[in-house]
Amino acid sequence: MKDWAFGLTMTILGMGVTFITLYLLTLLIRLLIKLFPRKEEEESEG
Amino acid sequence: MDVLISALSSLVQGFASLTWQTAIMVLLGCVLLYLGIARKFEPLLLVPIGFGVILGNLPLAGLSAYDEGGIINLLYTSGILTELFPCLLFLGLGAMIDFGPMLGNPRVLIFGAAGQFGIFLTLLLALQLGFARQEAVSIAIIGACDGPTAIYVTTKYARELLPAVSIAAYSYMSLVPIIQPPIMRALTTKKERAILMEPGEKKVSQRVKILFPLVTGIVTILIAPMGAPLMGMLMLGNFMRESGVLKRLVDVSESTLTNIVTLFLGLCIGASMLGGNFLRWQTILVFILGLIAIALDTVTGVLLGKLMRVITKGKINPLIGAAGTSAFPMSARVVQKEGQKANPRSFLLFHAIGANAGGQIGSVMAAAVMLAIMSGMGIKPLP
Repeated sequence: MKDWAFGLTMTILGMGVTFITLYLLTLLIRLLIKLFPRKEEEESEG
Repeated sequence: MDVLISALSSLVQGFASLTWQTAIMVLLGCVLLYLGIARKFEPLLLVPIGFGVILGNLPLAGLSAYDEGGIINLLYTSGILTELFPCLLFLGLGAMIDFGPMLGNPRVLIFGAAGQFGIFLTLLLALQLGFARQEAVSIAIIGACDGPTAIYVTTKYARELLPAVSIAAYSYMSLVPIIQPPIMRALTTKKERAILMEPGEKKVSQRVKILFPLVTGIVTILIAPMGAPLMGMLMLGNFMRESGVLKRLVDVSESTLTNIVTLFLGLCIGASMLGGNFLRWQTILVFILGLIAIALDTVTGVLLGKLMRVITKGKINPLIGAAGTSAFPMSARVVQKEGQKANPRSFLLFHAIGANAGGQIGSVMAAAVMLAIMSGMGIKPLP
């Protein structure tokens, strides 16, 4: 594999997987927030 | 008389072994000490590095990182070559970071990915300049804006570049307040910089804060196992912090342990900067490429910020994108300052800290993915 092909593969896969993983994490965070909403006592504690 | 002469000659051996490279490196060590002490540029790191440079380069002292049997060599082989020090620093970092602002506004996490784009563009540039693939990857990772990650990757693939890469990574982290603002201003209009974002922190439950590092650790390690040591330690540190029952361990991790490891790490890096391997044209190129990487991170972060502004119909200030680098919390402070310059009523810090924490995860993820791809291509790490 030539250097430019190696570089492009790294760029496309690297950025792609990083973006997808972080997007997946945002979905997981939203899911966690839905599953475990803040309770009233936590609200009053601030 | 002969005994006296040989005793005296042994006393001047050190002076006799001095070379011009040694003199330059000792001078460089003094400059680093000056920058750390007088200019307060990352003193916790630059002072041990500066002193390490002086100790490592003094002839016959046996204190370079490569002098087998020396005390610094012991630290180097057991802490750097084994990748222990970067991982321990991540444990401390995890114990320090509050992911709360990011959890309260999860969409800012995506800026953590945009803030890594400079890594890959710099990789292409380094390859074009003739660096070997392993070297190009190690140089590009300076764009992660994250010292431990840069050290971790470079130790695996291009140890000869370790001094230049680590100095560049840490120096540019402290120079973020100088590097980022002109780029942010050039890419945005005053109207865009003045956009007000929803004030206040959206808080999440403690259960979410506890589960986040656990879930993130599992998911990211399953996706890119090569980054497991860094991500695992980062998330362990944060899990201990949020669990609320390990205060003593958290206190030690975020202060004593981090300080000790930083001291040893700085000393080792300094003592590995020898005239022969540092005074080369590649070192200058590494510094230039590192600067380009961080500048490109800022460019892509702000451009994604502009895109998000359009998508959210003006609810996102594009400056937030610049905080997607993992220079934590410097980038977030820069965003806050620039936002307030454009609009004194603006308070972007909370959102920027969230993006900055996302950048921390993004940089480890980008490094892990790079390592995984390299491994998949059959490019083996150094033994």
